[in-house]
Amino acid sequence: MSQTEVNYQKKELPAILNKVGLVLLVVGVLLGIIAFFVDTTRASFNYLVSYSFLISIGVGAFFLITLEYVTDAIWSVPIRRITEFLAAIIPFLAILVIPILFNMHEIFHWTHEEVVAQDNVLQGKASYLNISFFTVRVFAFIAIWSFFYFIIVRNSVKQDSSGEQNLTKINSKFSAIFIPVFAISISITAIDLLMSVEPHWFSTIFGVYYFSGTVIASLAAVTIAAVLLKEKGYLPKVTNDHLYSLGALMFTFVIFWAYIAFSQYMLIWYADLPEETFWFLQRWEGSWAIFSILLIIIKFVVPFIVLLSRPAKLNPKRLKYIAVWLLFAHLFDLFWLVMPGMPGMENGYVFSWIDLVFPIAAVGFVIFLFSMKAKKQNLMPVGDPKLKRGLDFHL
Amino acid sequence: MSVDYTIEPPVVHGRLSIAQIEEMVVKPLDTKPDKKFYIAITISGTFLMIGAVLLLITFYYGIGMWGNNQPVGWAFGIVNFVFWIGIGHAGTLISAILFLLRQKWRTGIARFAEAMTIFAVMCAGIFPIIHTGRPWLAGYLMPYPNQHGIWVNFTSPLVWDVFAVSTYLTVSLIFWYTGLIPDFATLRDRTTSKVKKTIYSIFSLGWRHSHRHWQHYEKTYTLLAGFATPLVLSVHTIVSFDFAVSILPGWHTTILPPYFVAGAIFSGFAMVVTVLVFVRKIFDLQQIITLDHLDKMNKVILATSMMVGLAYGTEFFIAWYSGVAVEQFAFLNRAFGPYTWAYWIMVTCNVLFPQLFWFKKIRRSIPMMMVIVILVNIGMWFERFVIIVVSLHRDFLPSSWGMFIPTLYDVGILIGSFGLFFTLVILFTKALPVISISEIKAVSDGAQPSYHGGENHE
Amino acid sequence: MNNERKIYGVAALFTKPDDIINAASKVANDGYSKWDVNTPYPLHGMDNAMKLKPSKIGFITLFMGLCGAASALMLAYFTNSIDFPLVIGGKQFFALPAYIPIAFELTVLFATVSTVVAMLIIFFKFPANNHVLHDTPYMKKVSLDRYGIVIESADPKFEQSKVEELLRSFGPESVEIIYHKEEVKFPIFEPKFISFLILTAIVVSAGTYITLNKLMFMVPFNWMMYQDKVMPQSRTELFEDERGMRQPVEGTVAKGFIPYTYIGIDEPQEYLSNPLLPSIDNLKLGEKKYLTYCSPCHGNFGDGDSRLKGQFPNPPTIHSQRIRSFDDGRLYHIITIGKNIMPSYAAQISREERWAIVNYIRVLQKAKNATTSELEMIIKETGTNVAN
Repeated sequence: MSQTEVNYQKKELPAILNKVGLVLLVVGVLLGIIAFFVDTTRASFNYLVSYSFLISIGVGAFFLITLEYVTDAIWSVPIRRITEFLAAIIPFLAILVIPILFNMHEIFHWTHEEVVAQDNVLQGKASYLNISFFTVRVFAFIAIWSFFYFIIVRNSVKQDSSGEQNLTKINSKFSAIFIPVFAISISITAIDLLMSVEPHWFSTIFGVYYFSGTVIASLAAVTIAAVLLKEKGYLPKVTNDHLYSLGALMFTFVIFWAYIAFSQYMLIWYADLPEETFWFLQRWEGSWAIFSILLIIIKFVVPFIVLLSRPAKLNPKRLKYIAVWLLFAHLFDLFWLVMPGMPGMENGYVFSWIDLVFPIAAVGFVIFLFSMKAKKQNLMPVGDPKLKRGLDFHL
Repeated sequence: MSVDYTIEPPVVHGRLSIAQIEEMVVKPLDTKPDKKFYIAITISGTFLMIGAVLLLITFYYGIGMWGNNQPVGWAFGIVNFVFWIGIGHAGTLISAILFLLRQKWRTGIARFAEAMTIFAVMCAGIFPIIHTGRPWLAGYLMPYPNQHGIWVNFTSPLVWDVFAVSTYLTVSLIFWYTGLIPDFATLRDRTTSKVKKTIYSIFSLGWRHSHRHWQHYEKTYTLLAGFATPLVLSVHTIVSFDFAVSILPGWHTTILPPYFVAGAIFSGFAMVVTVLVFVRKIFDLQQIITLDHLDKMNKVILATSMMVGLAYGTEFFIAWYSGVAVEQFAFLNRAFGPYTWAYWIMVTCNVLFPQLFWFKKIRRSIPMMMVIVILVNIGMWFERFVIIVVSLHRDFLPSSWGMFIPTLYDVGILIGSFGLFFTLVILFTKALPVISISEIKAVSDGAQPSYHGGENHE
Repeated sequence: MNNERKIYGVAALFTKPDDIINAASKVANDGYSKWDVNTPYPLHGMDNAMKLKPSKIGFITLFMGLCGAASALMLAYFTNSIDFPLVIGGKQFFALPAYIPIAFELTVLFATVSTVVAMLIIFFKFPANNHVLHDTPYMKKVSLDRYGIVIESADPKFEQSKVEELLRSFGPESVEIIYHKEEVKFPIFEPKFISFLILTAIVVSAGTYITLNKLMFMVPFNWMMYQDKVMPQSRTELFEDERGMRQPVEGTVAKGFIPYTYIGIDEPQEYLSNPLLPSIDNLKLGEKKYLTYCSPCHGNFGDGDSRLKGQFPNPPTIHSQRIRSFDDGRLYHIITIGKNIMPSYAAQISREERWAIVNYIRVLQKAKNATTSELEMIIKETGTNVAN
């Protein structure tokens, strides 16, 4: 299939996007560096939140791409390139993780040998929770994700000019292999980065919990990009029906997140075992209780009510707002997971400007990366054999 | 083998006309049953009778006839319950979730899967009731103002189960019946027998294929699917709560809800494939229930198999990671304790054998898939056995450790439940159209107008 | 066909889905209102072609779903927190997380059942097996593989020739006129129907009777009735005295029992003092208990005007100077052990209640024997005429 058949003409994204992204990124990074000097502990914890947030968007977006290949989905083909741009975060994770590795002592108290020496439980975990193995795992997963990312995206881009059907088939195969790898790696990432902040606590569902938030965040990011580009006329053929599907998926995963979160909470609340409950009790301490209640409202109640009706999912404007809301909700969720474990915040939340710095940098980074990618490539996978069917998609 | 991604693969093979499709689907209803049918129903009926007799003996003498003991108070009764509820998940999943995902291939198998759901839930429902030992008092499970002045305990997961399973049965029946209404109308309009016509008329409620009705009907169907989807998840979730809210190592683990749901879909799909392979062959429905269908189902089996495998791994890993001695013991005991064989049957059948479905040849080979799905069914039964019996037989105090050995009655009643299930399935294939006539018509070639109201005909 | 019969409508059949969409959109544009399209399955785009408004059935679902959730939570709240509160697993009485599963299930149950029932009965007006279109050749065809359109004679714009012409212009396979059916009546008092009803009634009643009154008392259902245990009042050979019930061990004290040690002392007021303040609550309690236990003999206001009409000798009034001068402890003592013909009320009235009665008696005495200065003081304080 050639480019003319779908009447696609490459348009440049406005330069302002690039500038906005760059400014946010630079401001965020500068403030972030200052933050590390002012309060290293707080900055490290916040950095961890934003880093997990970027993993969610990047790896989550890549998961959506592979899911499309595996299920032979049609409707998502016209917006797949947007998803690919977001997945471009993956190789950068290898650089972005470095500040965490240098500040591990601030975040993870299992890295302190004198603490471990006095703690039988941590000694039992030492063969897993130790600095070298942790580092190996982090880089191994980034390497695996990047490996699949480069192969699948390269094939997808190659298809723009060649239109070869075989590339879709190859990508489907790689995607099928990627999905189990993703399932394992994202679970372990969740345990390593988020659960081990409180190394005594354990919950088998935790990987699934992070996964559900990851999918919400990546869907929300894709939705924002798609709606904005459509509003500015860059994706003329993408209809509200396509966006509806994104809305429906967000709705589904909001419910899925609530289901997982409820299962985790209810089982621990019901069984009432002290080795598990302390984690939730910590999040009920002082002003953290407000955060816990807000989390339910922000991440479940509001999006659920907003996305419930069918007209709501067909309304791009509403989708855009709720997608921004959901991105914030995921960030809030990660914040809620990590920050109560910070020394000095045991009795409740204490405000600091540092909390706002790293999300700015993260958002700026994603916008900047997106616009850089969009300069080089088409906004639609014009050579994809499924594209025409995808554009013809109607509810 | 190359696939053309630019065109949509046809759902019905062989370019059949709409009338031909209908003819093909209703053929089993119009013809007299043949010898194969009688042989099949004799076998399943025999199993059913074995179960019924052993159950009656159990009623007479009490459940002391079973192998249950202290500490293994929950054994076959609950294992079978969870097993059958799991089987019952595929049907609603296929009809509801795939409907919402607009997967057209579901039409060929949805009706059948829904029927299997209902029968499986019926089989499942038997077990907790007989497990109470006094099934005639099962009415006490419902909250109603009574002369004892007491209520059911809403905090108990066993009461949640009562609500979940009865809601699931009701909603599945309604979902199934709603789908059947247009088909009853079609059957009513084509039959020549007066008796059949009366019966079909009653059940069709006077459906007349009006588009003013179709509009509400489609909306309702979507709503039902929208509700059935979380319902399916909730039912097995609540079944998992029966175990997970306790503090027994091996039962209390937070991943149990999604893990049970994945397992349920896994075993349900395996059972649907098992039965469909026979049905499509016996009733000549290969063009409607195609190899593509089975291929896709096998892919789902593969995916859920890996989910289940991941859950096994997570449980094992977190048991070690938790640093809780009893947790660690419970899992080591599963893998290397006295019931080690059950554990390894579970792992091989559920995780290792389904990996063969990575190969397209195996996914599309009928004998191979038969072997694998039957192994999956066995494996999933043992999964429940491992979770329930193996977790129970090692109590917190070594002095109260015990072993569970099933008796003839345990095994016989399990066989009887299979007999009940297959008897109902066999009767269903002769009594009702096994494929939704109106839906399969709607997805056949050329059945839908070209978009924009038929301005550009082909 | 009989031409005198009333025309129901004109129908046309098409073989291609595109044609019927085309026909439907034109008929809708022509402004007909009573017409319908019959197809063996729903056609995409037909809703737009027919200009149908979006289905409103979702509102019923939403409303009933919320009702389901609310009723589950209220039922759980009422039963487990109000009517029969019970601590389970150390949870609070209203253990919200534990009620969410049932709230969810009932949401789904209410929503789905009511949606389907509403669809069938309110939206479709089913069952409608006597609709005109049934058993017509038209219906048989649209049931199989044709796409039909009917314009009804009830439509205000209906004109037979015009409608036929309109339908023919779409190039249908065939056009036909559908007539109303002759009405068939089913008399209710047909002997067959009546005997069917009677038979059903007999079978149901007999079945219920036998199940509840006979079957439940047969083996094995009655096994619970015969258990190896000693019933109260029954004979047993386990003990020497052959009684099933045992005496408590010597020196046993019942839970909460405090012995009353002033029996035989005439004036125990020096040991007994009123522990209760005359608060409104315990005066109310005292009034209640007084009216229940004391008033039959002493009268509602303690005047000694018994309601027993001379079956017992009337007790003296409690407003006499002598009794008014009794200490609280003495009144309490009298209630506890009795006096003259009055029996002890210790078994019926708890200690606290006895003191409350004493307080109430004081109120009665004061009310009946107030001095003028006291009344004036009350009027002054309350600002009203108490006598009113």
